[in-house]
Amino acid sequence: MAIRANPHLIDELEKYGAQDVVKCYHCGNCSATCPFSGEVFVFPRKSMRYLQLGLSSRLQGNLEPWLCYYCGECSEECPRGAEPGETMMSMRRWLTARYDFTGISGLFYRSAKAELLAIALVAILTGLGLTLFGLAQGNINVYDGPGAFLPAENIHIFDWIMAGVLVVLLGINCVRMWWYTVGSDKEVRIPPGDYLKQFFLVPWHFFTQRRYSQCDRKQPWAVHLVLMLSYLTMLILIMFFLHRVQHGPDIDWKVHAFGYVAAVGLVGTTIFALAGRVRKTWTHYKHSHETDWIFLVLLLVVSLTGIAQHVLHRGGWEVAANIVYIAHMMGVVPMLVLEVPFSKWSHMAYRPLAMYFSTLREKVLLAEEKTEPRPQSAAQTA
Amino acid sequence: MDSTASPPKIGIFFSRADAGRLDGLDLAQVMDFARDLPGVAAVEDLGSEAFPDPETLAETIKRLGVTEVVIAGDSPGGHKPVFTRAMVMAGGDPELVRLASFGEVGAAAGTAENSALAAVACAVHGVPYGLAVTSPRVPVHPDTLVIGAGVAGIETSLRIAGAGHKVHLVERAATIGGHMAMFDKTFPTLDCAACILTPKMVAAGQHDNIDILNCSEVQDVSGVPGEYKVRVLRRAKRVDPDACVACHACRDVCPVRVPSEFDEGIVERKAIYMAFPQAIPNSYVVDGDNCLWVQSEGKKCGACVKKCPKDAIHLDEEPHSVELTVGNIVVATGFDTFDAELIERYGYGRLPNVLTALEFERLTNASGPTGGRIVTRTVRRKRKTKQEEWVFDTDAPAPRSVAIIHCVGSRDQNHNPYCSRVCCMYSLKFAHLVKEKLPDATCYQFYIDMRAFGKGYEEFFERIKDEGVFVVRGRTAKIEAGPDGMLIRGEDVVHDRIREFSVDMVLLAVGLEPAKGTQRLAKVLDIRPGIDGWFTELNYNSDPTATNRGGIHVAGVCQGPKDIPDTVAQASAVAARVLGGVISGSIRGDRDTVSPDEIAANVARRAKIITQEEPWPSEPTHT
Repeated sequence: MAIRANPHLIDELEKYGAQDVVKCYHCGNCSATCPFSGEVFVFPRKSMRYLQLGLSSRLQGNLEPWLCYYCGECSEECPRGAEPGETMMSMRRWLTARYDFTGISGLFYRSAKAELLAIALVAILTGLGLTLFGLAQGNINVYDGPGAFLPAENIHIFDWIMAGVLVVLLGINCVRMWWYTVGSDKEVRIPPGDYLKQFFLVPWHFFTQRRYSQCDRKQPWAVHLVLMLSYLTMLILIMFFLHRVQHGPDIDWKVHAFGYVAAVGLVGTTIFALAGRVRKTWTHYKHSHETDWIFLVLLLVVSLTGIAQHVLHRGGWEVAANIVYIAHMMGVVPMLVLEVPFSKWSHMAYRPLAMYFSTLREKVLLAEEKTEPRPQSAAQTA
Repeated sequence: MDSTASPPKIGIFFSRADAGRLDGLDLAQVMDFARDLPGVAAVEDLGSEAFPDPETLAETIKRLGVTEVVIAGDSPGGHKPVFTRAMVMAGGDPELVRLASFGEVGAAAGTAENSALAAVACAVHGVPYGLAVTSPRVPVHPDTLVIGAGVAGIETSLRIAGAGHKVHLVERAATIGGHMAMFDKTFPTLDCAACILTPKMVAAGQHDNIDILNCSEVQDVSGVPGEYKVRVLRRAKRVDPDACVACHACRDVCPVRVPSEFDEGIVERKAIYMAFPQAIPNSYVVDGDNCLWVQSEGKKCGACVKKCPKDAIHLDEEPHSVELTVGNIVVATGFDTFDAELIERYGYGRLPNVLTALEFERLTNASGPTGGRIVTRTVRRKRKTKQEEWVFDTDAPAPRSVAIIHCVGSRDQNHNPYCSRVCCMYSLKFAHLVKEKLPDATCYQFYIDMRAFGKGYEEFFERIKDEGVFVVRGRTAKIEAGPDGMLIRGEDVVHDRIREFSVDMVLLAVGLEPAKGTQRLAKVLDIRPGIDGWFTELNYNSDPTATNRGGIHVAGVCQGPKDIPDTVAQASAVAARVLGGVISGSIRGDRDTVSPDEIAANVARRAKIITQEEPWPSEPTHT
């Protein structure tokens, strides 16, 4: 089958952060350096080739960018400064945009202005809505209990509605991802039984990020895991224990202990990552796309306002606590509504799915190879 | 040029696309100079844009009303197609686009503003650079100094001396011969390197017109082109070369063992040594840094002095300087190889059977430490200290598999960005030698691009493949100690696979770097090392052996990586250039001493000569 080449692909990817792909001369140093590059998935060089040749369709069905955790070794040892690690990162952004059926993701990645505008809009709407809601049914002087400005029960319902919408949006994108990378490939047929047998991989990789830990460098994995687990803890607390978190005056240590640890984890890792990106300490911090900054700043604002409202509430400054609560929600809502289905947060679904899909494909391809070996010879011998 | 037509309006476009090379060149000054040249209507700065848009350029050309275009920059040739298109789009004559290439005239370094000015003036007037920019002729002393006695230096010396003129051949090491003396075979003919070189060395050693100054270094150069005063430091050899008969008696009693430079450290030599039996001058020398007598200031040892039957050894000899007067200087300082330890993942220095190219040359050389047997390094206990050491033992097992890795330190922006030109071919030669001596051994070549550019080279590559060598396109990333020898990992780019092989020996095709001391020598001679450290020639295309200084020439690898045939060719060319000056009695002076005004006037006068407004000048008279 003929493949159409898209000569503008490389320019398109430039907007997603891939600046130096043209420099690559295909020595294969990066692929050989990467500990994940193996029998079936050999990367990042091949993906760089797809980019140079403009093979959008190949790239779209490519799982390899998700198998890379950007430890940065390939970029450091690249003899051409072609930044294979950053190119993989950019391809992940591009793929996120491709999976997204609304097109919003691509808009955000290509234009930071658009994303900032959308965030501002959602934030203002949230702030306005919550203020009007609070004024209509509660008292700004009361934080919790009867007559609360923003009662936990109501917010809880709002949270669950939002979560439902986000899961649907992200779910559709995940199905599209499956179709592009696995479903549409007629040559690699995955037995349905395998789908069931291997499904445990999704939660396994989601919670442990096992693969990240197999990079030669462990620190980035540790930072990422702390950030992710802290965030997850917070999410569980809010989704299932909001009334226990919000109600005073006693501190419910069974719940709050988790909250405090998670807050420290969130603030610590976010500041660490921000400082790293400013000072360009690690290779994967050297190049920052606008969306990386927006993501980290939003996360930091949300964490700090969350802590602030808690402190104000426990300190008895109910009015201030309520105002900061609204500010907190003005950060949380855009962060979740815009980032989860359309931007950086979406990788929490795509990454584990990619591990799952790649394992399925790998099994089939390796089994095929046993019965019908691919051209094996490394050499052109006589 | 039709004199009735309206005078041309010339637009000069400066490109900074290769800004790195133009560092130190005051481009603003060049632009000011260009503005004052006759006929120049506009001077524009293109910035660092690599691919300017022809439509925008056409608009600029129209707006400025320019009828002729000059593109100036380090290598402006790349812009020419764009400008030709722009000229057509603007309704102008596409033929009237000329180049002022600073790179071509060697105007890259900071001292070369005048060359840049001249290049611009020449392009404006449409005068060939070589014709217009000349420096005055000066009388020349008939003697020549050649710095570096590798194959380039020896070849130049033999040619000049053969024509009946005196040559002083200065060499830092104890013997002449350079790197070529270490090689086993040459590519692609697989001739014995020593069989080619040693007769030349002997001829140089015996030539009445060649004065070999081994263990010597050029310290200081003063004077003017045609009459240079050179001070050469002659380090103490401590053995009288006229008395020494190379009987080896001294070597046998010397108690000091140090790694042999000539054998790339894979075997030891004594403190009193001769690099190899065919060394020229064929005499022992004492390594003062390691001699017990010298280091203890006469308190210890001295065994060799007692043993010498000819009383040739004088351990108390002091270094001294000699003054030479020469008309021409030939720089042939060659190269050093890339330090493979800088790339840690290749394990050189850590894994005993990872060897550099020169180490393998010595190992496989029939006159080398193992008599040409390719063996792996094995552990041996030192007799005295009981320490373990890795040595090449003639009886050690031969490697069952050998991997050769190309481009070590070359074509790599973390090390040397340039291609070292010889590594592909010598790697293929190694593969052949492995297959020839060990037919059952597996041999892998890991390459990025196979640069078999010379006569017979591509055929050599085909031959190696026919010999059963596994040729893998892809650079290796890692060499690690494995359960059975070493494990080597690389991507096979053609088959899109990661390959892991178990090998017993790895050869690193280390690239070439300017020899140590090149920067110092450049300062002493006031010639220009380019961006990569190789000496800059006056004109890359048309004057590849001359430098900015009158009477100072470059030959061989010190001008840029090249193989033996090219080196010998360039060395012969230099000899012709030197002899041309010596026989005619005069040479061109320095290129940088002409003032900008003189350049402009000179170029304008040449332009008139070309358009036959003035007659050709008579040839300069020789003194």
